[in-house]
Amino acid sequence: MKARRIAELGVLTAAALIIFIIESFIPYPFPIPGIKLGLANIITVYAVYRYRAYEVAAILFVRIILGSVFSGNITAMIYSLSGGVLCLAGMLLLRKVIDEYHLWLASIFGAVLHNTGQIIAAVIILQTPAIIAYYPFLIVAGCLSGAFTGLCAQIVVKRFKKTPS
Amino acid sequence: MKNKVLIIIAAVIFALGIVGSIFVINSPKTDTVVIKRDDKILYTIDLRTATDRTFDIEFRGSVNTVEIKDGRIRVKEADCPDKVCVKTGWLSSSAIPIVCLPNHLVIEFKENAEVDAVAK
Repeated sequence: MKARRIAELGVLTAAALIIFIIESFIPYPFPIPGIKLGLANIITVYAVYRYRAYEVAAILFVRIILGSVFSGNITAMIYSLSGGVLCLAGMLLLRKVIDEYHLWLASIFGAVLHNTGQIIAAVIILQTPAIIAYYPFLIVAGCLSGAFTGLCAQIVVKRFKKTPS
Repeated sequence: MKNKVLIIIAAVIFALGIVGSIFVINSPKTDTVVIKRDDKILYTIDLRTATDRTFDIEFRGSVNTVEIKDGRIRVKEADCPDKVCVKTGWLSSSAIPIVCLPNHLVIEFKENAEVDAVAK
């Protein structure tokens, strides 16, 4: 049981990492840092609804740290981490309130919280409150990408329902 | 019921984001531009009088090439991985600074233009 669990977490982390790396090859036309689909979060959102809190945290943080190392963008790691912590905390609370048929909703809140964390980190690191001007754009983008990744995760949750664990 | 409330909250957040974006896009610009790193002002430039030129700003071995042309300013080239600063293009709104996160560089319009004389 224990070994199986660890294997599952490993597979999920690997899948998230692959999605993350492939997504990093997609060029985005937006002039604002931080706007992206965040496809790797399909795995995160799925895990939030299927695994224990510390297991989700493990998947998320291993993916963020290894993802930054593999993509060679260490600065991005700080922003991802602060966004990730806030997003994870929020979603773990929301999963108690929102059932898995409204997973996309939890995902939207998660995305907006992630963007909030990123902006806070950027303001602190750059000592430039003007960065907050990006926040409205990030919220709009976060709602859209959050809904998309949430819907994808919902499909995954539905498909995996029948497998015994 | 709980879900409905949360959906409404999400919709309100989305609407606020759109309103905020419109507000940011429409905010007025000034003539004085500052180039900063970590809250330290490196350059103050008056775009009305600035001559067309390009110059490099170096940080820990990374370079951002800044171009001033026809009273506008942009980052022309950068050797950071994401190139967000280059993609931002010409500085056009006081609410959207040009930002290079890896090189800690910020280019923005100065709110009040009383430091005009300090320029260059």
